[in-house]
Amino acid sequence: MNTRSANGTALQAERTAQGKKPRQGTGFGLDKVVLILVAIYFLVPLATTLVFGLSDGSSFSMNGVTSIFGDADFTGTLLLSLELAIASTLLTVLLVTPTAYWVQLRLPRAHPLMDILALVPFAVPAIVMAFGLIEIYSASTPLINVLSLGLVPFLTNVVNIVNTPPLLVCAYVIIALPFVYRPIDNNLRAINTRVLTEAASSLGCGWWRTFLTIILPNIWPGVISAALLTFSTAMGEFTLASLFGLYTFPIYLNVTGQNDAHKAASLTILSFLITLLCVLGIMLLARVGRGGAGKTRQLDIVVAK
Amino acid sequence: MAFLKLEGISKYFGRSTAVDTIDLTVDQGEFLTLLGPSGCGKTTILRMVAGFESPDAGKILLDGENITNRPANKRPMGMVFQSYALFPHMTATQNIAFGMHIKKVASDTIQQRCAELLELVGLGDKGPSYPHQLSGGQQQRIALARALAIEPKVLLLDEPLSALDAKVRVSLRNEIRRIQQQLKMTAIYVTHDQEEALAISDRIAVMAKGKIEQLDYPEEIYSNPRTVFAATFVGSSNRFEGILQLASEGIVKVENHILRVPGNTSLANGARVLVLVRPEEISLREADTLSSETDNQISGTIELRTFLGPFTRFHVRVNDTMLLTADIPSQQARDLSVADSVAVTFPSTACQVLSLENQQIEANQITAAETI
Repeated sequence: MNTRSANGTALQAERTAQGKKPRQGTGFGLDKVVLILVAIYFLVPLATTLVFGLSDGSSFSMNGVTSIFGDADFTGTLLLSLELAIASTLLTVLLVTPTAYWVQLRLPRAHPLMDILALVPFAVPAIVMAFGLIEIYSASTPLINVLSLGLVPFLTNVVNIVNTPPLLVCAYVIIALPFVYRPIDNNLRAINTRVLTEAASSLGCGWWRTFLTIILPNIWPGVISAALLTFSTAMGEFTLASLFGLYTFPIYLNVTGQNDAHKAASLTILSFLITLLCVLGIMLLARVGRGGAGKTRQLDIVVAK
Repeated sequence: MAFLKLEGISKYFGRSTAVDTIDLTVDQGEFLTLLGPSGCGKTTILRMVAGFESPDAGKILLDGENITNRPANKRPMGMVFQSYALFPHMTATQNIAFGMHIKKVASDTIQQRCAELLELVGLGDKGPSYPHQLSGGQQQRIALARALAIEPKVLLLDEPLSALDAKVRVSLRNEIRRIQQQLKMTAIYVTHDQEEALAISDRIAVMAKGKIEQLDYPEEIYSNPRTVFAATFVGSSNRFEGILQLASEGIVKVENHILRVPGNTSLANGARVLVLVRPEEISLREADTLSSETDNQISGTIELRTFLGPFTRFHVRVNDTMLLTADIPSQQARDLSVADSVAVTFPSTACQVLSLENQQIEANQITAAETI
């Protein structure tokens, strides 16, 4: 915005110099046109969906909406998806944040490896991952049993993990790795992690306390945007859930869409509102976490839906 | 009485030697500066004392106790960084209080100490400010207060003034010295700025290539350098390479000139030597007023005249290879101008003689990097 206004002033000065009347600020610049086009692009589908959901084909009707709340599957699937999303978000952030910190601090040579690891989930299609996971945890292969130090047979036979929500959470953690590692790593690079850690250390502070009281508050925006992305990905994930045979909210949405289009439209709007609420909630958390630092840091969120 | 003692400390990074078997002792309450160009190992030594790096060989003793393998957060050292390293999400007061919280100091004591320290560094009213609201100099003052808050046994300063502009640098360096003397704090200071080192230190260790070239008082380092490197890194000098013809009389042959230097029996006749003369030791006279009173007299032509305020710097061309620098107090320099023929004179006592027999390589490097 600053550059724009600076350009504007320069342009105005130029115009005045040419003897022309400087244009006043109420003008309708190209930037506003673009903004409006973008808004239309995003809002029109939403608005039409809303209108479609609130009609029965010819007139206004709340049937679609009321039938949703009478549907036991709605609450069931929604709760399952929320649980999955919250579990994957917590697990990913708790796993990746200290790891990224450790890599930044002590294993700078592991950076390329982490970068590749964070790209693999993009390269591997969900369907391949789903079959891979199902294959590993259902068939007993001696090689894998040995390589995993007995963890795979334990999970397969004792916990019976195949096609359960916990395995789906693990899969979501893998999918979310790029979304989580990138913003956190960017933040860590931006704050001079190493010197801050050394400063804390010279003041007598141990590793975990440094991480929690010095590093975490300063990379909070990255952590929050990581959490947001993981949460929304897990909330809307269809392929893996479907292959695992779990009845999650996106699958319920799909099933409903095949039976009752008006109800599906209302559902879409509802799920949009729920996600929006969650996102707002997390952003509120970000504001609290940022505390008094006062620096206006932007959350580098990519809306991935 | 040695308070901090480094014994045979070495550190290697891959194949290169950062610090090469260094012995160093720092007395209680002493301000010791490690001075040297970048890559000479000075910062590595400081980081090993702080505990951020562990030495590959040798021992570090603090007050008689071996702390070589103790982690950084268990060492009683306060550290000030070049980049300030204040915690950005904490106010100045919170930054200062941080170390005391870790040490579980009672909270009313913390409050009182914070106020005292803010006062000590001259920022009594900046307690509630966040680092980004403070200037560089103010941030470094807070960082100093933060390091002092834990009442360290040794204060370590890693080029604390390098990121500041010239004026702040001078005033803050005086502040650091004042506070260090007031608290009788043992301090190790790392810098590549020789003026800073001369101004602030009790003793200076001039370092090059992982070794200490000379460890001495600032006056000695300046006026009595022991190695070619120390002589050329600290201050600027005119350099004459020649052959010592009569060691006991102090007669050196430089090209077709004869220089008189202090007599010295530790060097052999015929030795290759480097004679150094500080620019401020040189006087210029008009060419026709040659006198017999001075020991050394070379005639030349003024090639460049630079007015620098209190003194004026002259470059005097003697011949194709010899260009001398003379700093003349400005009042006495009014009559001298470019293209004048002058006699360059300096007393024999102003000459430093260093043997070049074992230091050939370094001497060549220095000539290549001439004119400071």
